[in-house]
Amino acid sequence: MSGNRGLWRESAKHVSTDDAHRLYEAFVGQDPAEAIRVVESVRAAGVAQTQLFDALYVPAMALLGGAWASGDIDEIAFTQAAVVAEQIGSFVVPPVARQDTGVTVIVGTMHKDHHTVGKDIIAAALKESGYRVNDLGLDVRPAEFLERIEETGAHIIIVCAEMLAVARSVVRVREMLVTAGREDIVVLVAGGPFDADPALARSVGANGIVHGAESALRVVGRVVTDTAGGESA
Amino acid sequence: MTSRSSQVLMAEGLARSEQVAAAVEACYEALAVNDTEPFAHCLLSHLLLEGDFYDEAIAEATKAIELDPDCSPAYLALGLAYDRRGGMWDQSVLVWHELAEVVPDLVTAHVQLGEAFAAAQFEEEAIDSWKRALELDPKEPRALYNLAIAALKREGMATALPGFRKAGELDPSQDDLFFALLGVKAIPDRSIDPAKVREDRESRLGAAALAARADDLFVTAELVRMVLDENPDDPDALALAGFAYLKQEAANEGMACALRAIALKPDLATALYTLGVVYSRRAGLSKHAARVFIAFAKTASQHALAHVLLAESLLGLQRYGQAKKAYRVAVRLDPACVRARFGLAAVHLTEGSHAEADWEVRRAAYYDTKRQGLFWRLYDEYAEGGAS
Repeated sequence: MSGNRGLWRESAKHVSTDDAHRLYEAFVGQDPAEAIRVVESVRAAGVAQTQLFDALYVPAMALLGGAWASGDIDEIAFTQAAVVAEQIGSFVVPPVARQDTGVTVIVGTMHKDHHTVGKDIIAAALKESGYRVNDLGLDVRPAEFLERIEETGAHIIIVCAEMLAVARSVVRVREMLVTAGREDIVVLVAGGPFDADPALARSVGANGIVHGAESALRVVGRVVTDTAGGESA
Repeated sequence: MTSRSSQVLMAEGLARSEQVAAAVEACYEALAVNDTEPFAHCLLSHLLLEGDFYDEAIAEATKAIELDPDCSPAYLALGLAYDRRGGMWDQSVLVWHELAEVVPDLVTAHVQLGEAFAAAQFEEEAIDSWKRALELDPKEPRALYNLAIAALKREGMATALPGFRKAGELDPSQDDLFFALLGVKAIPDRSIDPAKVREDRESRLGAAALAARADDLFVTAELVRMVLDENPDDPDALALAGFAYLKQEAANEGMACALRAIALKPDLATALYTLGVVYSRRAGLSKHAARVFIAFAKTASQHALAHVLLAESLLGLQRYGQAKKAYRVAVRLDPACVRARFGLAAVHLTEGSHAEADWEVRRAAYYDTKRQGLFWRLYDEYAEGGAS
């Protein structure tokens, strides 16, 4: 036993082999109600939803595979047990949706720019990670960013621009925020001109540059952490 | 059959045996004798394209088409030359459109047409072309990958990823990986009779693997059962059983067998493969799939597709940087891996690197058409005076 011990480590840590065996028995006994009772009892004993699959379901399925291999159960019983395992799958699989962060991020492509791809990918990545994304679309005027900030109470905006002239005009967003007394708003910029010249971002009054989807998650995450810690973003 | 001069036939022979320089020389000799032979121009265009002489390839293919507007291999060479040269998308669209007209059932023409449309920012037309390709061949991998990339551009990775996975599952190379792990290469030319297999573990497992390669999963099951009856704790037999169940869409049975096999032998690549595939198909198990595929990629590190599977699981976790590294390993191991090229294109898009993404798509096209031997297929059909 070497490298992959970690794949099954969770089971030893949280759940007794008895629990896994009870779940396996419920599978073989074609008793989904009992299988759910086993899952619920393990959950009630303090095992988190995110760990149920590894801690309980995986060892029970390994027992099932072993029972079929040794001939303790025949092909039909194996298939029927697999059906029960399928039925209770949703009780043990970690939740699909990421937890809502409660943080609103406004995203839009700057006025006179109609490039969608970068903005769409960044917006989708943030949404998938639980951010409340307010996508203003393309050709967004500075005043629209401000209006939406007021409507949603957002503190972070991401302004995308793929053309140099448009990228330079992002300074109008910062100017409008200053005029409205909203210097607290964190302005992040994204797009080729900013990737190529970070000084451009500073010159338009941006607080940071987003270089694509993963970068957006990292930078927005840092802004949220810093803001929560009372630091200036 | 259309007649070719002896010089052209000599150039063909040299080109087919990949003696590019000698073949180019022979083409020029053929043209010195008769410069109105489309075969010589079209062959020369193909050879110049191989050597990355795009403008020269364009000129020769254009001459071939001028001499005979039905010269389908010349359209292929011309379209590929335009695409690889870059910046000539309008011409590229016209050429692929023309080839799709000349050879309407040529799936690749529609795929290429879609890619040319996409490069020219005609996204709707591109999607229509890929859908047309899928009507002709529902498993056409590049059409599926291109549609996944289109979904990424519009709605992000969460929408695109199922497309990548689906394309991967339809792509027979994923099964090839499993059989490569078992050391099984070719599909057996005759069916296997379990009663005639030698009664030892190795013979039975070998025959079971061959039967699985030939999609004869009942024979696989019978032989695996014989092995397990003698030793229920045989991890290799369990792993093979897991794969057989997976092939029959019985994911839970596959998972149960793979988990038991891994409990017995944690680094067993065949079991890790099956388990990873099962996990990657279930919503909510992205992390589990990534964990399994990390172990799998370590165990089967010499296989490009092992790194592709890891990369795809990392995309599901939004770990694009790590996915890029895994894709790069895959491309290094197999530059012709279309799935890795498209995956890398997807990662580049998430980084806003559009030019790099387009480049990867073009490389995929280059390797894919080369792998298919499409030029020679069209050339031979044209020489035969057939429909193409």
